[in-house]
Amino acid sequence: MIQLLAFGRFEVVRLLRSWKFLLITVGFPVVFYMLFLDDRSAGKVIAGTVPWRMYLMVSMCSFGALVASLTAAGARLSTERASGWARQLRITPIPAWSYVATKIAASMLVILPVIVLVEIVGAAFGGVELPFSRWVELAALLWVTSLPFAVLGVFIGFLVNAETAFPVVTALMFVLGYFGGLFTPVANMPGALRTAARILPSYHHAGLGLALLDGHSLGVEHWLVLAGYVAALGFGVVVKHRIEEARGIA
Amino acid sequence: MAVVDPRNAGIRATGLTKSYGSVRAVRGIDLEIAPGETVALLGPNGAGKTTTIEMLLGLTHPDAGTVAVFGASAESAVRSGWVGGMLQTGSPPDHLRVRELVSLMASYYPHPRRVEDVLRIIGVSDLAERWTTKLSGGQAQRVRFATALVANPDLLVLDEPTAGVDVEGRHEFWEVMRGVAAEGKTIVFATHYLEEADAFADRIVLIARGSIVADGSVTEIKAKAGSRTVRATLPGVDLASLAALPGVVGAERHGDAVVLSCTDADAALACLFAKFPEVRHVEASGGSLEEAFLELTAEEDSTRPAEGDKS
Repeated sequence: MIQLLAFGRFEVVRLLRSWKFLLITVGFPVVFYMLFLDDRSAGKVIAGTVPWRMYLMVSMCSFGALVASLTAAGARLSTERASGWARQLRITPIPAWSYVATKIAASMLVILPVIVLVEIVGAAFGGVELPFSRWVELAALLWVTSLPFAVLGVFIGFLVNAETAFPVVTALMFVLGYFGGLFTPVANMPGALRTAARILPSYHHAGLGLALLDGHSLGVEHWLVLAGYVAALGFGVVVKHRIEEARGIA
Repeated sequence: MAVVDPRNAGIRATGLTKSYGSVRAVRGIDLEIAPGETVALLGPNGAGKTTTIEMLLGLTHPDAGTVAVFGASAESAVRSGWVGGMLQTGSPPDHLRVRELVSLMASYYPHPRRVEDVLRIIGVSDLAERWTTKLSGGQAQRVRFATALVANPDLLVLDEPTAGVDVEGRHEFWEVMRGVAAEGKTIVFATHYLEEADAFADRIVLIARGSIVADGSVTEIKAKAGSRTVRATLPGVDLASLAALPGVVGAERHGDAVVLSCTDADAALACLFAKFPEVRHVEASGGSLEEAFLELTAEEDSTRPAEGDKS
């Protein structure tokens, strides 16, 4: 246990030291959010009851969590595997799963400030007014439910290499962002896309946040799909990790 | 350090084979290493040294055969912190300082050495605050050695530990390793530097094309290769009659001089004096390990079973 804590501590230290990376990861969704803020659409209401400004803020929280996961784990992990560090760890007493677990935990750690920062921008410039407890609830809900993104990032980190990391991560960011209805509400999309959105974790992540703000119950479907993604991607990570171990790559 | 019972078992590898696609990297290796032994795996590039080491470390699963390290599987020996290793490839993670990396490694093991001691012994104290990504090749290799040494394991497995290190660094490295060996640790290292194996190992396991072609002390290996050499001045003699002498496996002529390769130099010399009383300037020398190495690794064999079982 002490070993794992030491390992985790150094992972966090390394992450904090890569401040350029952090600045971009945390800053990008905020800048993106600012660009979307538009007075003309501020009064709009989508899909019946959700005000546009709330939709936009929750969407940007989801998008930020997605971006942070994919860049924090995905891109960095592929570089690290290429360097052989993962392999060196395998001849230490550190159990194999701890490497993956630490990466997921580190992603979760980066996601939290992204969500909080987007909320602050939402309150300051986005015209979103909520009681304080609601802000906290929203941040906690969106943070905890970011787990599928964090696992996705690690999974992608195992799939791609240093060369393919950038295009794959970028493509996934925009596919999950757009088709998950984070840039345009799913309600405004044609029927086929509306159906497609329901299989994407991004749609359900934002859906939970919107349901909370809208006073609806947090739909079971959202939870099930997100949990399904954690299970499926987690399984993928384990399988991929095993294959690489057997081949002697990882 | 107290040695507990299961560790008296040492290392036992039986019938190891490993293929990568159509490449048969290791073709049946049997190896038994006693605790406290220092063993060199010597062989040309691509002989299967690294694959063998990876199997001893549990990094690679053999296609067939078993590995037992101190009576346990290779994986569980590694998990218990009994084994430390230094791989040929792999750079340390970024955004860490040298001291932090070594401390991190120390924290994984049950009985680590003191970080400061290790940094001093390896001669990297002045690099302690340096980023691990800002090291020269030789410095990086030293730091890698420091991470293996700080673990203070009972078995230290090193894959070409001095590759890319200058002569002086190499000297210092083996100086440190002598100390480790004197503590009774078991050391297995792969190298293609003959002089390192010669100077440092108790025992040399010569590997070629995935099999063990010779296993023994340096002198045994030299003798096995039949590479004791007798030189003499003997003008106009028939080479065939020289080659037919007992104990001689080969004869060459260099002007007036002849050079005999002998499996039994004593018998060869006795007959040489008896048959050719005119012989002059006789000198006998032990063949170099290099000759033995070339001779043993050049043998045409692909199916011959390994001879490594030291019973």
